[in-house]
Amino acid sequence: MEAFFAIFNTDLLVATIRLSTPITLAAVGATICEKSGIVNIAMEGMMIMGAFFAVIIAYYTGNPWLGLVGGVAAGGIFSLVHAVATVTFHLDHVVSGAVLNILSFGIVRYLMVLFFGHPGTTDPIPVGLGGYQFAIPGLSKIPVLGPMFFNQTPIIYMSFILIVGALFFLKKTKVGLHLRAAGEHPLALETIGVSVYKMRYLGVVISGLFSGLAGAYLSIENAVSFTEGMSNGRGFIALAAMISGGWTALGSFAAALFFGFADAFQIRMQIFKVLPIPAEIFIIFPYIATVIAVAGLVKKSRPPRADGIDFMIEREDG
Amino acid sequence: MQITKLKPVFYVLAVISGIVGIVMYFSSIFSGFFFILLALIIYYLYRLLATDLKTVKSDIIPLLKNLLIPLIGMSSAIIIGAIIMALTGYDPIKAYKALFYGGFVKNWSISILNATPLVFTGLSIAFAFKAGLFNIGAEGQYYIGAMVATFLGITFNLPPVLSLFLIFIIGGLLAAAYNFIPALLKVKTGAHEVITTMMFAHIAKYLSSIFVRGMGGDSAGLHPYVTDPILDTNWLMRFKSIFPSANYRVHIGILIGIGMALLVNYILYKTTFGYEIRAIGQNKDAARGQGISVGKNIFIALLFAGFLAGFAGVTQVVGLDHKMYENLNAGYGWNGISVALLAANHPIGVIFTALLWGVLDAGGQYMTRTTQIPNSIVEIIKGIMLFLIVARYIYSWLGNRIKRKLGTRIKKSGGAK
Repeated sequence: MEAFFAIFNTDLLVATIRLSTPITLAAVGATICEKSGIVNIAMEGMMIMGAFFAVIIAYYTGNPWLGLVGGVAAGGIFSLVHAVATVTFHLDHVVSGAVLNILSFGIVRYLMVLFFGHPGTTDPIPVGLGGYQFAIPGLSKIPVLGPMFFNQTPIIYMSFILIVGALFFLKKTKVGLHLRAAGEHPLALETIGVSVYKMRYLGVVISGLFSGLAGAYLSIENAVSFTEGMSNGRGFIALAAMISGGWTALGSFAAALFFGFADAFQIRMQIFKVLPIPAEIFIIFPYIATVIAVAGLVKKSRPPRADGIDFMIEREDG
Repeated sequence: MQITKLKPVFYVLAVISGIVGIVMYFSSIFSGFFFILLALIIYYLYRLLATDLKTVKSDIIPLLKNLLIPLIGMSSAIIIGAIIMALTGYDPIKAYKALFYGGFVKNWSISILNATPLVFTGLSIAFAFKAGLFNIGAEGQYYIGAMVATFLGITFNLPPVLSLFLIFIIGGLLAAAYNFIPALLKVKTGAHEVITTMMFAHIAKYLSSIFVRGMGGDSAGLHPYVTDPILDTNWLMRFKSIFPSANYRVHIGILIGIGMALLVNYILYKTTFGYEIRAIGQNKDAARGQGISVGKNIFIALLFAGFLAGFAGVTQVVGLDHKMYENLNAGYGWNGISVALLAANHPIGVIFTALLWGVLDAGGQYMTRTTQIPNSIVEIIKGIMLFLIVARYIYSWLGNRIKRKLGTRIKKSGGAK
């Protein structure tokens, strides 16, 4: 019983939020991207770029907030490559994503040697965003929910706002409607005079910005330096969360929370060694959940109709 | 007319001289290269005698045309790499000298060792692509192959050739079986194989950690954990046992890979199954219209892709490592994607692109050791190379732009008159 309470307590739920934040951010971004009709499996690479450049900027300016901006921008710029390759050059989306993931490892490693003289881990930044944890007066006193949602670090708060923002953007704004149309019925959108290309560029870049923020969370909020392999497949888990969440922002958030919980639980199981089960069993949970989700066992889980389908306009001026 | 009767003789001569050449080359006897050349000459000589110059020409010219874009892409990537290095304060000429010297000459045996598993994973992904499938999870099937080879390698105590044969077959079959669920879901529910095989790849990676600890991986020992070594009798033959002067690590896995590439090529282009696979890959609906069973073929194609990727894991364990490491992050499955794409999914092309990737990896390591230039530049060059070769639309886009510019210029000069 003692072991039970050592594992199942408020700390577990707080850890769940912390571990799920990068997954949530990348998954919600990916949702917007796929809604526009572009398949994105390059979140891992975009996260790595975001994490690395957040540290670089924070390291040289000494200001973690500038680092945050740098990380987000790096994710966005890197995602532009995906947009150009898939939208303008009609490259297969999965191929482009796979190449980008491979490329990101090389770029970061090369720059790391260039800036810090060695691969592996960067030098620590002077102040991380983790130090800016603040409790929202009043709300943080609520038992369980208080420490989970109202006594956190900046990017975690941002992720809450961004989920609501993404929902609002997709459901209530005109641009959001157009973006979804680009993924459901591109030809119809083009007929009413809105550029499908522009909407798809927008979708990809938003996803890049979100993934960049997720990366910045890993390197300058959850840690104070960048380590190679620190994203540890979270970009792929984000993909898993998006699919398990049925290609919706809220669903992605719920799935990411669940995967974060599995991760937090797994870490505790490793520490307390209550059951003779290898920890890996819990780590593979998100992947199995995803297979079940795409198998159609979860109703409503359906990608946008034109997701991953190339759109080419034949114009007179070429 | 007479000469066509000698066809088998010419073919046998070409194949024999090709195999002799490759074996010699991989045994560090570089004059083997001339035998490979001889094989090509015999082949084209026969074609020339049996048909006429025109047919031979029509054989070679499309081949050269197909090589044009890859060559442009490769050389542009090398130039861009040089610019990046120059901008960041490294000497590109020194770097490339070390890279190619290391990859082709000094450490060419490591190039071969690197290329061997890539041939199999590349073939696996290329074959699936031909059926319009993306076997992105070859990494997972690689792990399964490696696990089976380790387990059987430790436990099988049979006559050497028989046990190796069984290890390969069982490893391949179980890796194929690992694709059973993705294949079934693909056919029954339409679940996209990119998602399912990728998820299965991650699962396999974590399962392998459990496996390594279970097979003698000592948790108190060194990181990363390692299994017990496999029996000596289950080691794959090395070139050294034929030619004592050969490099001691190079094993015959690369020959198995080349044989497999020829087999896949045969299946794809000479059998009904291969024809159906390619028809489905080009247009599913048209294939269905022809009466081809799409579901059945897709199912078999995914399993066969798993089988091929499993071979990569098996060769790596019985040929090179002789044990299995935890978290080895070898990435042969992921790199196999690049290898297949670069070869435009042609089985024979895969051999060469796998060797190219092997050379770049081995050369990159040598370059870092001797010149201190980070070998991650090689990863960057590889990525750029891939983009420039795969995104073929870039070239027609550029072509259109140039045409349009020329067009407007003509119009303008026309207007001036």
